[in-house]
Amino acid sequence: MILLQNNGSWISFSGRMHPVLVHLPIGILVAAILLILLSQRPRWQRFQTAVPLLLLLACLSAVTSCITGYFLSKDGGYAENLLDTHFYLGISVAVSSGLFWICWRLLRRKPWLLILSGISMLLLITITGHYGGSLTHGDNYLSAAMPAALSRFASQPAKAAAPDYKDISDARIYEDLIQPVLNTRCVSCHSQQKLKGGLQLESLALMRKGGENGPVLKDSLPEESEIYKRILLQEEDEHRMPPKGKPSLSPAETELLHWWIANGAPADKKVKDIPKNVRVQAVLAAMQPAKTLDQLETVPASEVAAASESAIAALTAKGLKVLPVGANSHYLSVSAFTAGAFGDKDIQLLLPLKAQLIWLDLSGTQISDQSLETLGQLQQLTRLTLRGTPVKGDKLQQLSHCKQLMYLNLSETAVTDAAVVSLKQNKKLQQLYVNKTKVSAASVQQLATAITGLKIDTGGYRLPVLASDTIAYHKQMN
Amino acid sequence: MSRYKKLIDEANKEHLRYTTRRHFLMDCVTGLGAFALGSFLTSCGSSSKPQALTGDPMAPKAPHFPGKAKSVIYLHMAGAPSQLELFDYKPALAQLHNQLCPPSLLEGKKFAFIRGVPKMLGPQAVFKQHGNSGAWISDHLPHFTSMADDVAFLKAVQTDQFNHGPAQLLMQTGSARLGRPSTGSWVTYGLGTENSNLPGFVVLTSGGKTPDAGKSVWGSGFLPSVYQGVQCRTKGDPVLFLTDPDGMDRDLRKASIDAINQINEEEYTAYGDPETLARISQYELAYKMQIAVPEVMNINNEPDYIHEMYGTQPGKESFANNCLLARKLVEKGVRFVQLYDWGWDSHGTDENLAIDYGFRNKCREIDRPITALLQDLKQRGLLDETLVVWGGEFGRTPMQENRDGKDMPFLGRDHHVEAFTMWMAGAGIKKGCSYGETDEIGYSAIKGKVAINDIHATILQQLGFDHEKLTYQFQGRPFRLTDTSGKVITPILS
Repeated sequence: MILLQNNGSWISFSGRMHPVLVHLPIGILVAAILLILLSQRPRWQRFQTAVPLLLLLACLSAVTSCITGYFLSKDGGYAENLLDTHFYLGISVAVSSGLFWICWRLLRRKPWLLILSGISMLLLITITGHYGGSLTHGDNYLSAAMPAALSRFASQPAKAAAPDYKDISDARIYEDLIQPVLNTRCVSCHSQQKLKGGLQLESLALMRKGGENGPVLKDSLPEESEIYKRILLQEEDEHRMPPKGKPSLSPAETELLHWWIANGAPADKKVKDIPKNVRVQAVLAAMQPAKTLDQLETVPASEVAAASESAIAALTAKGLKVLPVGANSHYLSVSAFTAGAFGDKDIQLLLPLKAQLIWLDLSGTQISDQSLETLGQLQQLTRLTLRGTPVKGDKLQQLSHCKQLMYLNLSETAVTDAAVVSLKQNKKLQQLYVNKTKVSAASVQQLATAITGLKIDTGGYRLPVLASDTIAYHKQMN
Repeated sequence: MSRYKKLIDEANKEHLRYTTRRHFLMDCVTGLGAFALGSFLTSCGSSSKPQALTGDPMAPKAPHFPGKAKSVIYLHMAGAPSQLELFDYKPALAQLHNQLCPPSLLEGKKFAFIRGVPKMLGPQAVFKQHGNSGAWISDHLPHFTSMADDVAFLKAVQTDQFNHGPAQLLMQTGSARLGRPSTGSWVTYGLGTENSNLPGFVVLTSGGKTPDAGKSVWGSGFLPSVYQGVQCRTKGDPVLFLTDPDGMDRDLRKASIDAINQINEEEYTAYGDPETLARISQYELAYKMQIAVPEVMNINNEPDYIHEMYGTQPGKESFANNCLLARKLVEKGVRFVQLYDWGWDSHGTDENLAIDYGFRNKCREIDRPITALLQDLKQRGLLDETLVVWGGEFGRTPMQENRDGKDMPFLGRDHHVEAFTMWMAGAGIKKGCSYGETDEIGYSAIKGKVAINDIHATILQQLGFDHEKLTYQFQGRPFRLTDTSGKVITPILS
């Protein structure tokens, strides 16, 4: 583009030469160090004469690199702390290579001194270069590509495993929230291997056993439990845990520990089971796992092959609408808003789609009990609506084959108590609608106890008549 | 020589006579082809292609990813209700009642009508906390309080338009200026409709007036006009001229529409204008609507308990009737039902627009129907896949209006853009939650601010769209409902 706006200046232009120029001192210094090492053998002693020149060149190119690097840093956009480290390291490379050159005569007399300085020089430029690389390629450029064996060796913090709860309120307090804190902060010393203070914190049972000074946990009394008390001590205090120099617990972790102990240090309760104060709520809210917005519970995570076009066309011809649930999926949703005549004789048409069909809305169609057997074969179904159909439900237990069923709408049908109770086998069922049916409260209760997490809406809502319904507000006329 | 010359001249002239204006233009095209090729090559990197519309523009389409909502009911309170008398409880404002507004709240601010230094106006309602969520709801909405645990309040919605027209346009089309498609148009453009017998996008109005911004709030803007909202009348014939004239039977009607559509199809094959397709599908839709619309728009057949629940009065134009219709339409697969209720502009200029009189009457008019709508959707298992949105186009000031610097005959509040309350319910919206906070007098948003584009992004998200990818190529660039901003309000999603 000829008309590109020119924002450049000599300063930022030369700054951008930095990534090229930095390789000069690196190469020259490596060459110099190589020559120093080689020249230790009498055969190659003559190489030593070249070293001072190389050192001088290295120093000069390092100075140039520092200057251009400084200009480049003016462009901004670099991580401050990394930049500072790299900045001072770069200057020290320039200075030390200069000193090396100046002191050459002095150093060359003692070969070990020469080798030592050479190797320290090599280390310095390696570290400097690493920070420079981190600046341009990002902090985790190397570690991200590191093989597992190597990264264990380099003691990289292992990638945090994704929590196995979807909502923080479903998290197990001890397993999911407390033990991980202990694992990162305490277990390195309080383990079977080290057994500091005779205390092990690898499990709740071991924690309850206590250490050589007795129990560390007093249920419901965090302020009297050693395990909590010691965290709050001043850093200088010799009883403080984790001891000076070891990373201490974050305020959030401390808060969680206090909350857990204050509520009796339960072993298997979930977050939603015990009361929370405002501070704990804030901590928990921050721990809420990020939602994968595009993933619905009612859509299987596994992929499926596309459905046959002719099977879809056959249904479309009957007035049904067949659609992928999303453009990124082969799973299908079928609705029947314009297929009022769709009935038992057509139901077989759904079978070719049984691998893909997950949402089926047949409300207002002529589907009756005869079709339930076929519907039972649609084993991927997660949502099924039979609202306002002639279904009576005598064969409703056929739906127990639909193991994935989560939503079932039977409202405005003639389903009976017996039929509804036969849904017991659908363990995944979460929502059941039986508005305007003959289903009794007793069988609803029976089903609700049989399936955990099932919400049954029996409908029949009425709004009370309130005096305010009819008041018209007017200014009093005097 | 001269004979030859004459001959060549004549041949040339004859040739020119055959070269018409069209030939000239055709030559130009081939000549310009090279330039065109160049521009194609340079634009290779961009993936935006003009949309090719083929077949039925209202055919159902899959969203980007599986969505929780299949339909939307948007309840727009035109004129902008006062959040300070409904959901945003500010006891500190009551302390300041009738005191002069501190200058810090007025400096550099513009108001539609407030001039000089107005007085503060304390909340003119009694608030209580309701439900397990402890949501503050005023006694103006006694029925709605039972829904506290079903809705998600957005307490810090912000807009930048303090006049009704532009603010309504912004709220509905994402832009304060004319010409953009409304939310319902974008949704039907993206999803089509699963009930080809009814319009995909229906508009119902109540309160005696249509919104100030006019019909452009349900217009299709630059989208093909097939996606615009269809306004149905709630009194008399829902759609005018839907019945066949005397002597015209349904077969004859069908035959004539088939003939017209055939001509239109030939027209489309020849010129490829998407508006021709819109025309075809509108003819077909109209024919089907002749049966389907009177049926769905007739609330007389609803059982008595439903009428009692909603507080409907068949034959009258009312918000209650519209709420019941909204449920019926959604039940039949209509994608987007937009309700406008006029009369919320409580300036205090007269009794009807007084915070302490007319406003309370408006609240009474919507309280029962909205509660009934939510409960009815719930018991039918529809709330699960229907997104309900409630709100005005802006909020109202914590100051009492003093139009032209004078005291008003009634209590009133001016238009306020910096913070107001909306709520959403159903279709994957977190139940019983409140997001966003205003300062202690409800003047400005201090936490959880929400822009109009964020509301749009959230609506599209729930329908299964990445709001950044639902685009339409227009005037050389892809447009979207949220245009260049918009963030999904994830804290209110379950």
